[in-house]
Amino acid sequence: MGKAKKQSLQDETVDLSMAEKILVHYKDVDGCLIPVLQKIQNEYGYLRETIINLVSERLNMSVSEIIGVATFYSQFHLKPRGKHIIKVCCGTACHVKNAKSLSAKIVGRLKINANETTEDRMFTFEEVSCLGACGIAPVVVVDKDVHGTLSPDKLEDVLDRYVKPAA
Amino acid sequence: MSDINLKIDGKNLTVPKGTNIFMAAKNNGIYIPGLCYHPKLTQYGGCRLCMVEVTERGKTRHRFSCAQPVSEGIEVKTKTSEVEKYTKSVMEYLLAHHPLDCPTCDKSGECGLQDVTHDLKLSAGRFKTARLDEPMKRDNPLLEYNTNRCILCGRCVKVCKEIEGVSAIDYQNRGFKTVIGTAFNKPLDCSFCGGCVSVCPTGSWQDRTLKFRARPWELKKTPTICTYCAVGCTVVINSKKNQVMRITSDDDLGINEGNLCVKGKFGHEFINSSRRVETPLIRKIGILCPASWEEALDYVSKKFSEIMDEHGGKAIGGIGSEKCTNEDNYLFQKFCRTVLGTNNIDNISNIKSPSLNRLIQVSIKNRIVATSLEEIEKADTLFFVGADVTEAHPVVGSMARKAIRLNKTKLIVANARNIEFNSVARKDIRLNYNLGTQTILINTLIKIIVDEKLVDLGKVESSTENFKELRSLLKASDTGIRKASKLTNVSEDAIKSTSDLLAKSGKCFIICGKDIEEDPLAEDTIKALLNLCALINAGGSDKVSLVFSRVNNNTQGVNDMGVVPDFLPGYLDINDQSNRKTVEDSWGVKLSDDVSMKDTEDVFDLASSGKIKALYVMGENPIVSYPNGKKVKDAFKKVGFVVVQDNFLTETAQLADVVLPTSTYVEKEGTFTNMGMTVQRLNKVIEQVGNSKPDWQIVCDLAKKMGYSYSYTSPKQIMDEVSKSVPIYEGIENSDLAKEGFRWVSSVYNKSEPVKHRFEISESKLTDIKKSKEYPFVLLTGSSLRHQGTYSRNSSSLVSLASECFVEINRNNAQKVNIADGDMVKIESAQDKIQLKAKTTNRVPEGAVFVSEDYEWVPINNLRVNGYTNIKISKVK
Ligand code: SF4
Ligand code: SF4
Ligand code: SF4
Ligand code: FES
Ligand code: FES
Repeated sequence: MGKAKKQSLQDETVDLSMAEKILVHYKDVDGCLIPVLQKIQNEYGYLRETIINLVSERLNMSVSEIIGVATFYSQFHLKPRGKHIIKVCCGTACHVKNAKSLSAKIVGRLKINANETTEDRMFTFEEVSCLGACGIAPVVVVDKDVHGTLSPDKLEDVLDRYVKPAA
Repeated sequence: MSDINLKIDGKNLTVPKGTNIFMAAKNNGIYIPGLCYHPKLTQYGGCRLCMVEVTERGKTRHRFSCAQPVSEGIEVKTKTSEVEKYTKSVMEYLLAHHPLDCPTCDKSGECGLQDVTHDLKLSAGRFKTARLDEPMKRDNPLLEYNTNRCILCGRCVKVCKEIEGVSAIDYQNRGFKTVIGTAFNKPLDCSFCGGCVSVCPTGSWQDRTLKFRARPWELKKTPTICTYCAVGCTVVINSKKNQVMRITSDDDLGINEGNLCVKGKFGHEFINSSRRVETPLIRKIGILCPASWEEALDYVSKKFSEIMDEHGGKAIGGIGSEKCTNEDNYLFQKFCRTVLGTNNIDNISNIKSPSLNRLIQVSIKNRIVATSLEEIEKADTLFFVGADVTEAHPVVGSMARKAIRLNKTKLIVANARNIEFNSVARKDIRLNYNLGTQTILINTLIKIIVDEKLVDLGKVESSTENFKELRSLLKASDTGIRKASKLTNVSEDAIKSTSDLLAKSGKCFIICGKDIEEDPLAEDTIKALLNLCALINAGGSDKVSLVFSRVNNNTQGVNDMGVVPDFLPGYLDINDQSNRKTVEDSWGVKLSDDVSMKDTEDVFDLASSGKIKALYVMGENPIVSYPNGKKVKDAFKKVGFVVVQDNFLTETAQLADVVLPTSTYVEKEGTFTNMGMTVQRLNKVIEQVGNSKPDWQIVCDLAKKMGYSYSYTSPKQIMDEVSKSVPIYEGIENSDLAKEGFRWVSSVYNKSEPVKHRFEISESKLTDIKKSKEYPFVLLTGSSLRHQGTYSRNSSSLVSLASECFVEINRNNAQKVNIADGDMVKIESAQDKIQLKAKTTNRVPEGAVFVSEDYEWVPINNLRVNGYTNIKISKVK
């Protein structure tokens, strides 16, 4: 479907071999876009344009269609992400418990806004909706660790742990 | 299909099964609001406006009428208070964020959203939300996109995917952030068919060629036929005060279902271009100076008479036009043959492919020719042989995609270039053969079909003339599938599946394209193709529809009208005494005995050798369009007197002694014949620009000046004469030339008994592609989607969209000589050189480069010789 014959795969600095492998695996499988994107994101961290061009060529789907799908689901990322993902909950309970001050802390300390990644690619900061832990609001999740009943100061301590990992 | 009875708003209706309630109502004059449904696109049900109340077997429910097929005995109410309440609140939501900026919106007055709002008598809604205020996206010269006005109905997304096969746009993001856009928000880079503008029910997509020049209600809308390619789409010209403001389309008119391509949709600015020639010009002391018609025609008639007196009429050569109407061309050749007394007339398409007319006649007589282009939509198998449909005949591409989408039609694309054709077809077959091996490929298909008895050979034998001969030759041939696969570089599997598909039951629609016609062995290839068609047609009974690519809007017509040296109108062989007699009787004039032109010698050869002293060129620019630039320039240098009749001061007109200004297709009446041989009528839209005149009128005036009573007062009279004297146009009735969407399919197809096919067997030759050390590449040429000759060149929007003609170079070749995209490249042949920017691609095979012929300002013909031209390329530092 669509503009299959995208041709600008020349300026490659990325190693496409893993992507190729994934695409070969899904060759001729109907409706395989989402699993393909998931596997590719797993492999490369995010959906980079050069790889999407390759996916487009192989799946015979236009880049716009693919990106349309990718931007629909929050699980897909079009920009590089940090080593650590910080999710500040902005759900109702956390909002009431001043989650805003936590966001402000992060913005102040890491010098990035929501949905951005620090230059050293250490942190990505996201604001998300209810994480289902309202009882310990306000909540911040870093990678897979849940930190509850936070204040800006406590958050500072949490972040320190990731910046200078315990020896 | 069976019919269904139902009741809508108390009215008893009978509609075909499968119709949805929305269309059942609409077709019977009952209005249901609805903005996302479009009959030519797949149903989606996104706008929620079309709700109705349906009572079926005693149960009353609410249904979305676009999503609900009719069923027997249902009762539908479209205007209950509940329906109205629901619809109104849906509209409130749709309008909640809309900027309501109708005063500055070009859609105002023909906007679906505005109309529904008005019909529902809505006032300011209950929602007090922020109006959207995103900036207008204006990243290309033709279209702009205003996301604020978008209701996310999805029509544009679907037209782009389903009809155009491009999917340049899609929904991006989700929830409130959803917009229609491109990946990574890049500038739109698509085929610019304008389909999105046509189907958008709001003012989100806008045609920039109209921008602020007129309000929709000021526009006079006149349907007529597109003047670019040979598909012959119906366009609707929108004019105001004698100026063309934009072009739209009408889903119910013509063969194109409202689909157009970028040239048809946006290439209209040439009509009111300031570069039009608006008054006759006569060369005086070396300079073309304005003159009156009287003066110009006097001068031409005096000069022509002098030359005729001195050298005889045959010393004047005539070039007819692939762009002008049938009437213009018919009269032109009649004038040349009778008033001037010369048979040295021709047109560029015939000069390029001199065997094509004859071969097409064979396909007509054997009844394998398609009776119209629309047959494509009923095909089970599509076979594009050397046809770059996407670039050359874009809307045929849309028709093919429709067939593929709705009928699961199978697609086979055979080409030496790896051309692009996008469709929803999965596992279509691509035969990317080695340049010059096409005849082998086709003959191998024949061999497999016969060897494996894939069609009923008994039937073939009885309904063709010399099948035995073919069979024994096939037996003797040593080119089996393995060898063919090696030579052509097409896998055995692909060759095998192609022969299976072609032989399988069901209709085959086959397009023979320009890439075949350009090859020096074109005649052999086409003969082989005719054999293949005849074989599967006879063996599978009437299953083949073959169409030959024609390049221009009236390439078919100019040949039909006899603007060729060897055929009188209607392909009557001029060397046949009885044909001559018939024509002489009907014209009341004796025809010249001189038929000096042969296949190997065209008008320009005769001019170069001094046999032709004067040239009369109508609506053609041979200096650029003749395939051998050097030769044609020599010819023009030799000739003493040149008359050019055109809309613009083309390269050829600049060499003329007299230039006669002509009217464009929207300023005149007449007919065009498309490549499916359907004759379609033009409507006059605006008055003639400047002092220009329609070509037929000029020819008439000139004939009168030269003492002949050409008393035609309109193209209608000319067509009447054509219908009487041109056998294949017999029966075309002027009285039937209804204004709206007139078309006429020649009855020549079913009148005469089909002639039994005679297999003309040519051996499978490889085209000899000579390459020298010095000139290691072959130059291929072809059509381009975005341009086509003089008209697109003078349409400023098209020029800003495609301002650069690229040379396409195979990526591997480019790498070796260190050429990258966008580098300036010198292309050199033994004849001449030219510099163009490079586009590296895998569309062209290694060892070849491709340059389009359609960028008129790029005289690629200067490099060319007959046959494939050898060239070298180098990077310009
Ligand atoms: S102009 Fe045609 S190809 Fe381009 S976005 Fe619109 S529908 Fe798609
Ligand atoms: S741009 Fe127009 S056609 Fe496309 S989704 Fe929006 S309203 Fe519909
Ligand atoms: S496909 Fe051909 S006839 Fe149709 S709009 Fe385009 S140029 Fe005109
Ligand atoms: S609102 Fe933050 S966890 Fe529920
Ligand atoms: S027209 Fe039926 S939901 Fe839009």
